[in-house]
Amino acid sequence: MINLAGRDILHSWGKFVLTGMGLGLLIGVTLTMAGVYRGMVDDAKVLLTNSGADLWVVQKDTQGPYAESSSIKDDVYRQILGLAGVARAANVTYLTMQVRHGDKDERTMVVGFEPDQPGEPGYLVAGRRLVRGHYEAIADVKTGFRLGERIRIRRHDYEVVGLTSRMVSSGGDPMVFIPLKDAQEAQFLKDNDAIIGDRARTAANPSLNRPGVPGLLDAINASQSSNRNVNAVLVRVEAGTAPDAVAKEIRRWKHLEAYTGTQMEDILIAKLIATAAKQIGMFLAILVIVSAAIVAFIIYTMTLGKIREIAVLKLIGTHNRTISAMILQQAVGLGLIGFAVGKIAATLWAPAFPKFVLLEPADAISGFVIVMVVCALASTLAIHAALKVDPAEAIGG
Amino acid sequence: MEPAMDKGIHIEGLSKRYGAGDTAVDALKEVNMSVAPGEVIGLVGPSGSGKTTLLKCLGAVIEPTRGRMTLGGEVIYEQGWKIPDLRALRRDRIGFVFQAPYLIPFLDVTDNVALLPMLAGRSNSESRARALELLQTLDVAHRARAQISELSGGEQQRVSIARALANRPPVILADEPTAPLDSERALTVMRILNQMARQYQTAIIVVTHDEKIIPTFKRIYHIRDGRTVEEAGEGREIS
Repeated sequence: MINLAGRDILHSWGKFVLTGMGLGLLIGVTLTMAGVYRGMVDDAKVLLTNSGADLWVVQKDTQGPYAESSSIKDDVYRQILGLAGVARAANVTYLTMQVRHGDKDERTMVVGFEPDQPGEPGYLVAGRRLVRGHYEAIADVKTGFRLGERIRIRRHDYEVVGLTSRMVSSGGDPMVFIPLKDAQEAQFLKDNDAIIGDRARTAANPSLNRPGVPGLLDAINASQSSNRNVNAVLVRVEAGTAPDAVAKEIRRWKHLEAYTGTQMEDILIAKLIATAAKQIGMFLAILVIVSAAIVAFIIYTMTLGKIREIAVLKLIGTHNRTISAMILQQAVGLGLIGFAVGKIAATLWAPAFPKFVLLEPADAISGFVIVMVVCALASTLAIHAALKVDPAEAIGG
Repeated sequence: MEPAMDKGIHIEGLSKRYGAGDTAVDALKEVNMSVAPGEVIGLVGPSGSGKTTLLKCLGAVIEPTRGRMTLGGEVIYEQGWKIPDLRALRRDRIGFVFQAPYLIPFLDVTDNVALLPMLAGRSNSESRARALELLQTLDVAHRARAQISELSGGEQQRVSIARALANRPPVILADEPTAPLDSERALTVMRILNQMARQYQTAIIVVTHDEKIIPTFKRIYHIRDGRTVEEAGEGREIS
């Protein structure tokens, strides 16, 4: 038996391909939206993986350091190191800021870390690790910085000595790693004008500037111009130790909050990007509905254009199932062309997106199944119209 | 009834009423008609006389209100259809030729003709062989692989006649098959229909109001206000 759908497609392949390409671009947008969500999730997971920690110790009653601000003293890590099962503990700071690069600003997350400790970038794609205590930086390639370039962060310039990749914040901002002390200063210390102003106010305050207490004013000024805070302590537990058990000990005895990797992933994915995920979900749902409407409209219009032929086919004895199959196959054919175009388009334009777009094969398979189902459902309108055609229409006026 | 007439198409007292009550319209009133195998008859009448309704009843696409129809010696309608599968009846035992050829534009010439035998369950090779044979008979075999859009109007009408004959039906219903053609081509189509009727022993009913071809019929049924009157035609030979 002749494949009527195939013949029709071959006969008017130009129209089919163009229509399929139009649909394909829409499918490409849908796949990209899914990729944007996957990219956000992946960014969140990468952030956790790259930190190299089993536990995140943060300020009590906060969900820091990524979802909320957290501030703890930088000597806390010593107490944590004393707990059973803790192999390593290190201070880190995270500060999202605009970093000047040439004549434009780059939004980055500046990370303060201690060399050879959790929080250090796991690998470099160029350059070397930090060896000096100050004013050196490792930048993610996505920042656009190159080796030897200088980054201005607050009051100081930092030389880029290493490049890393896929080191991004949960929001997709590329990271710049600098020594912890510098990062503490960048995050917590005031600028010179503010310090001078504070000193003047302190000196003018009689309760803080007592003539009978020599050294008090200097001590207060010294405390105001130094900072001992960090955002979190990253903990790596000993082999065979359950992170949950150590987290429980930290919560109980140190009056701090401690999160395991699973809990932190939950905070990042289920809470931090939950609204964005819902937003994307809405877009996906709308795009699927729009795609379905377009396929239904195209197939319906194509079918209406063949009403006379369908009437003749029915008159000469063609089964309804043959006609239905023809329309269904055309809808599915259109979906196949559309999906192929959409997948190729999404693959080509994904790298151009400013944030990471992760096109998962599983999403492509799901997308393919959804496209086929949507096309099949969309063809029902046209099939209904075709089955209503009276074979008598082929005879007479 | 003569044996030959018994094998053609024969209708008695066929009526068709549209609507009911005060708005009812009797499109056909006690129509009688017989067409023998190998015979080509004309069905003529003004617009609204019931020609198309009669053709639709004969083509089993609308159901008469009452009467009797036999096709090839078998009763197909008498107080209801006697054939359960009207689709198969139309496919296997009735051929259709339309005013415009209404060929399937996305199939080539051969497949337009071969489609019917295929729908009837014959193999692709057998169907295409039969299609080629008919195309040769109708002198369009040289366009066998052509697309429909590449054919002239006359060639398209020949292909549509070949399609109507593809399942060797005992009757062909031709609905104004010469309307869009000039005199020469119209007479050519009539010559072909007469030739096919004789060759395949098919009864052919040609609905027309084309003055050019009316003299070619040996018998003509005039239809007016739903009633038919039979009269002898000129039966002029077509050169």
